[in-house]
Amino acid sequence: MAGSQGDAAKLQILKDALYDEARQHGSESRLFTQRDLLGLNVIPNENATLLLRVVQGLCDDKLFVGTNNHAGLAWRWRSKEDAKKYTSLSDETMMVYSMIDEAGADGIWNRTIKFKLNMHDSVVKSAIKTLETKGYIMGMKNVEHPNKKMYIKANLRPSDRATGGPWFTDGELDTAFITELEMIVFEFIKTQSAYLGSQGGHRSVGPARMPTKGVIRGGAAPVSNVGDSSSRGVKRAATEISNDDQTPAPAPAPAPVTAPHQSSSSSTAVNKARLKVFLPLPAGYKTYPTVSEIAQQIDKWGITNNTTLSEADIQQLVDILTFDGLIEPIKVNGRKGYRVTRPTKQETSSLAKRQKDREAGIGLDLTLMGVETGSNGLTETPCGRCPVFELCEEGGPVSPSNCVYFTEWLGLDEGRSKPPNGIVPA
Amino acid sequence: MNRTQLRHGLAILIQHNLLYYDVDSDTHMAYYEANTDNAYCLIRTGKILEMIDTSFGPPTKDVVQSLLLLGQTRISDLVAAYREKIASANQAVIDKESNVFDDAAATNGNSQPKKLNNLAVKSTAQLNSILCRLVEAELIDVVHDKSFQSPIDTYKAVEKEATDTFFPGGVKGGKAKIEFEEKIAEGLRKVRNESKLLKRKLEQNGPAAKRRKLFLNGGVANGAHDEEEDKDPALDPKQVIRINYEKCLVELRNRRLVQFASEMIGDMTSYVYGVLLKQLTKQLSRCRLDPAMDMGELEEGQGSGIVTTAEILDSLKTSVDLSLGLGKTSREALSSRAAEKLQELPPKKKLILEADVDGDARADESEDDGSDSDESGTDDDAKDYAPPAANGSKVKFADSTAKEQKMDRPTQLRQHLLLLAESSRHFVRHCGYNEWTVDFVPLMQVLREAELDSVIERTSGRQGLRLVRILRNKGKLDEKALPNVALMRKPEIQQKMLEMQTAGFVQVQEVPRDNKADVKKSFFLWFHDEEKSIGRLLDTSYKAMLRCMQVLEVVRQKERDVLMLTKRTDVKGREEEVMRKEYYERYRKFLDCERKLFAQTMRLDDMVALLRDY
Repeated sequence: MAGSQGDAAKLQILKDALYDEARQHGSESRLFTQRDLLGLNVIPNENATLLLRVVQGLCDDKLFVGTNNHAGLAWRWRSKEDAKKYTSLSDETMMVYSMIDEAGADGIWNRTIKFKLNMHDSVVKSAIKTLETKGYIMGMKNVEHPNKKMYIKANLRPSDRATGGPWFTDGELDTAFITELEMIVFEFIKTQSAYLGSQGGHRSVGPARMPTKGVIRGGAAPVSNVGDSSSRGVKRAATEISNDDQTPAPAPAPAPVTAPHQSSSSSTAVNKARLKVFLPLPAGYKTYPTVSEIAQQIDKWGITNNTTLSEADIQQLVDILTFDGLIEPIKVNGRKGYRVTRPTKQETSSLAKRQKDREAGIGLDLTLMGVETGSNGLTETPCGRCPVFELCEEGGPVSPSNCVYFTEWLGLDEGRSKPPNGIVPA
Repeated sequence: MNRTQLRHGLAILIQHNLLYYDVDSDTHMAYYEANTDNAYCLIRTGKILEMIDTSFGPPTKDVVQSLLLLGQTRISDLVAAYREKIASANQAVIDKESNVFDDAAATNGNSQPKKLNNLAVKSTAQLNSILCRLVEAELIDVVHDKSFQSPIDTYKAVEKEATDTFFPGGVKGGKAKIEFEEKIAEGLRKVRNESKLLKRKLEQNGPAAKRRKLFLNGGVANGAHDEEEDKDPALDPKQVIRINYEKCLVELRNRRLVQFASEMIGDMTSYVYGVLLKQLTKQLSRCRLDPAMDMGELEEGQGSGIVTTAEILDSLKTSVDLSLGLGKTSREALSSRAAEKLQELPPKKKLILEADVDGDARADESEDDGSDSDESGTDDDAKDYAPPAANGSKVKFADSTAKEQKMDRPTQLRQHLLLLAESSRHFVRHCGYNEWTVDFVPLMQVLREAELDSVIERTSGRQGLRLVRILRNKGKLDEKALPNVALMRKPEIQQKMLEMQTAGFVQVQEVPRDNKADVKKSFFLWFHDEEKSIGRLLDTSYKAMLRCMQVLEVVRQKERDVLMLTKRTDVKGREEEVMRKEYYERYRKFLDCERKLFAQTMRLDDMVALLRDY
């Protein structure tokens, strides 16, 4: 009898030793196979039977959790606090709790619990209720299945898969956050991938305008053409004035001079900033910003104070901007950077200023990012935006002869709204 | 309709090239067919005139305008018409000089609507030289007896001839078939080249290049031509000439491309591009090669020639400052190796021959994957092309030591050209050291895509464009995968996709998971068919053009009492004075509408031209 008692004491010692040793050798999620456990050199003579008894004991104490992995049985250890939670629970509740525990950071659906444990609905419900009141578990939301009631251990944070990563807040796609960040990334790429200068040097304003007027702008409709070229003409003329203090300056110009330029431009007169224009950089430019550079910059600015964005997250953002046609990838010597599209058409005032303007109600029709695409003949015509275009035919319910959109577009509806034409003094 | 009326009608239609006819040799019956292509080209009249005006100057525009109004014309007739016009104008000037206060002279000389002593074409000699220029530029060609055969008839005739002369026993075997096709192509080319008769004659007459160049800088004071005029040979007065729409299209396409480049890169670079295109397309007579005729050329892929930097430099205006329009950086920030990379093969070829020329300059293509594997390839390339690259940089370094800022003009020009070559749109291809070419076929596809994108963005917003471009990039995509890629909310995506499906930009495919084809379990794959979308866009454009014309007709009907009034001879020309204020107001409004609708139709034609003809 004394032998068996001594045996039990010995077993207890071995249990503690094995437990401690296992804790030293890995995190809670590490799986120990039988070989691993024997390798800890706790069990004398690599005695498998003894190991079995020790492990069984530990499992009974909820300090070890047995699992099946591809190589057979394996165990992982559980913290003493957690084990204590288990021991204080009733059988059913404990089973429910272990299910939730195993699900880890992904959480588990309450119907899955029910299905797996083959328990009655009310039993599962009451078990969950007890666990919740004890503060062991909590409800969570999964982005992929927003309608499913999911549970997770209270001391865990839901995994990225469940929350949807940094783009989600409380299970909802945080579009405001994304748009804001998109704008910052875009602004960064814009200022880093184009040269902020002024177009139309003082020597050659005349000839520079000639191609614009004659050759380049020719294809547009005569009406818009006139407005366009005249406004451009004005722009150039003004550039000429403001130009004198800028062009002689750049000696061996440092790479992109954007940052100092920007700060100076915001401090100078407003109209001066507007006259500036982004110019494309010469071919073979080596330092277009890459994704990792953008990620580093964002990290440095510390805009996203409670979430850290990985490079993959930024890549996702950059991809979106590429798909939107705002930026384009460019490879120089195998280095993949990004640059802004249509540089010369970009807004040159700083993003902060434009945002302030918008809050003040100025320029609400302007986009904060990039340029509006040029319209073409089709999108300008009422037909290009007509909701009943497919139905439209002569003799049908909608036809060119009774088209309200055309009437409006041609400005003919005023005559109609003032029915008696005769009232107009002859 | 009686016989004379019918004949008269047919004659006019033929004069304006709106009919094809074919006389059957057996029955001696004439068959008529509408020439829809030329009929459509009528809508481009305004654009062609504008193009001629800016690139050749107002006198040429005047001539082309007359030609367009008259339809095909014998040269002698045209000269006679102009002689009369000039004589009467001169007479009017004399009248005016002798009697300064006589206003009547202003209305007398109605041959020229604007200022009478300022005729665009001043003498018949000038007219002759203008015609020579136009013929050299292929903008005018000669009408010959086969011009009125429809393409199908021509093909049949050539085919018959080829069978009779070369294959009397019929075509047998694959080899003979190829030979037969070649013979047909040759025959067709011969027919086509007949209309270039005048041009050939002019070219025989000596170096036209010098004169042409002087002329291309047109828009200079009219007097500048006077010295040149008498040197031009007189054209055969019996020849009948007409406008060559095909070549006009090439010119219009150039303008379109320049516009696109200006949008994408900048004004100065696009100006350089315009000069390049002009040089490049001098020998190019049509936008799209005819598969039946230009087989050989198609296979060689040498539709467009090569332009050297020096050639471009020679035709740039000296007043243009090339240092504008480009950002300034230090030499160290640039990789001349990457910039000067040569692309010897057009993009399509490259895909086929990928095995041979592995990684040939593919690094700067918009391929997202395999950046590491490419790297080794580019290194190899760099070794291959080391001499030119080193050469180029040596020149630059010599400069930079002297004075960083002062680049010589060729270098500046090269920078613009390299920028065009580097662009993701592949405006030009740097096909040899200092040699440039344009791959029109893929480039136009890019341009079409851009046009489609802008329509999508305009109608479905930027998010719609984002979704379409994702699908274009990734192929078919499951409905559930879209929100993650597009970073958009699911309901928003669903709404956008449905909206775009109705607009025809995206399509959906349902793939059942198992045999039961349960809708709830099926995959829904979205995809974007570019060809289909473009086709649909073209149809929409046609229809919208038609609607514009119909609306114009409706407006005309509504205002017909006013319009009747303006047709009266005593009202015509002085509507404002004669008509009552209320009526004049309506007339003015109608003119506004008409102008707007015509402008819009022309803009829609821009789309059609891009989608169909370029």
